[in-house]
Amino acid sequence: MPNVKATTVSAEDPQAYEDAHVHAVYDSIAPHFSSTRYKPWPIIAAFLSSLAPGSVGVDLGTGNGKYLPLGPPGSPGCVWTVGLDRSRNLLEIARTAGGGLREVVWGDVLDRPWRLGAFDYAISIATIHHLATHARRKAAVKRLLESISPTHGRALVYVWAIEQDELSKRSIPVESDAAPTEAAKQASRGQDVFVPWVLAQPAEPKPKARRKGKATDREASQRSQEEVKATDDAAPTEIEPPKVFERYYHMFAKGELNELVTEAASEMGLSVGVPGSAQGPGACGMEIVQDGWERSNYYVELRRWKQ
Amino acid sequence: MVRLITHNILACHAKGCTTNNFPLQFQDVSIELREAEFNADFLRGFLPRLEWAALVSAARQLGDTSLPEQQPEMLDDEFLQKLHHVLLEIHVEEGAMVCPNCKHVYPISNGIPNMLLAEHEIG
Repeated sequence: MPNVKATTVSAEDPQAYEDAHVHAVYDSIAPHFSSTRYKPWPIIAAFLSSLAPGSVGVDLGTGNGKYLPLGPPGSPGCVWTVGLDRSRNLLEIARTAGGGLREVVWGDVLDRPWRLGAFDYAISIATIHHLATHARRKAAVKRLLESISPTHGRALVYVWAIEQDELSKRSIPVESDAAPTEAAKQASRGQDVFVPWVLAQPAEPKPKARRKGKATDREASQRSQEEVKATDDAAPTEIEPPKVFERYYHMFAKGELNELVTEAASEMGLSVGVPGSAQGPGACGMEIVQDGWERSNYYVELRRWKQ
Repeated sequence: MVRLITHNILACHAKGCTTNNFPLQFQDVSIELREAEFNADFLRGFLPRLEWAALVSAARQLGDTSLPEQQPEMLDDEFLQKLHHVLLEIHVEEGAMVCPNCKHVYPISNGIPNMLLAEHEIG
């Protein structure tokens, strides 16, 4: 059953478009969304465990803050990650992620509300794909690169891929009638889609309050109704029909993420390559340390350098 | 939360505001003190990244005068304990931060600073 559908971004006001199809949605689904997002992905956990003691970083689009408590094994408290998100309701959850008190900031990944190069590292996980135009996605990468140290800053970016895991429950619309050249063009640009979030209306009297002790019960009863096939089975126990929120995503094509970060770095005057590959002392650059595909996402790890 | 670890990083980013936009000044704040886990490795590593003068003045605005004007060279345990308290145990729960240059006000509510700008303020 196709549950992801193609969409076209209204070009005149991408900000309003994102407000309606991303920010408002996350504010509405925050507790349920959070209850389905608890497992850290291995490459991200490895990145965070490789940080030097005293490092301070930022999680751009922190969501429920699940990466904020992570750090080097044995001493996660020797690094600090500040979480930024556009959804106030998700930040209320993120501020106590992992049972501790976290530092969170209500802000936008298109802004840079801190000192230039203030952070040793940045992560941006499943966030940039919610921006509705190429120019805005590139602007977000520039803000990220400005936020990390120009001499040693490291970054890890994850976005959703057109290339999907066979385990994924999502099915991707394919424009089969497009001419080959059009299809190839489409592939290099990725695809704009809506992904539904099915929010069951729980039969309990006060669905909106979410307090600490209750979390486990609610998580169990509401567990992962995202894109599930079995929504119908659950229906008889619901008083109201489930509400469906359509979230906007730009699904990245193969190679598109690397092109995006390369373009952003070049426009900032950074040479893209290994340290020492630029001309002259004082030259600034950015290295792509590793990149790849993991579980339906593309990722790229970056490092800034100065020679 | 707005603890001084975060305050030491935040800067005004309103359109055209690029000089004297740090540190933000606290206004009408209410604070709470909460114990945090002490981690000497973090403090030693983080110290060179700090804007010291900004930290000292922010702490004084919040009523804490335990830090010396000049960053000490000897990082003994007594100093690290003070630094730990100032950076990580003072929570600004309500109030605002004001840009020293353009006077833009960033509200703090329930411990969360609002760094969003209106559309016409974005650079």
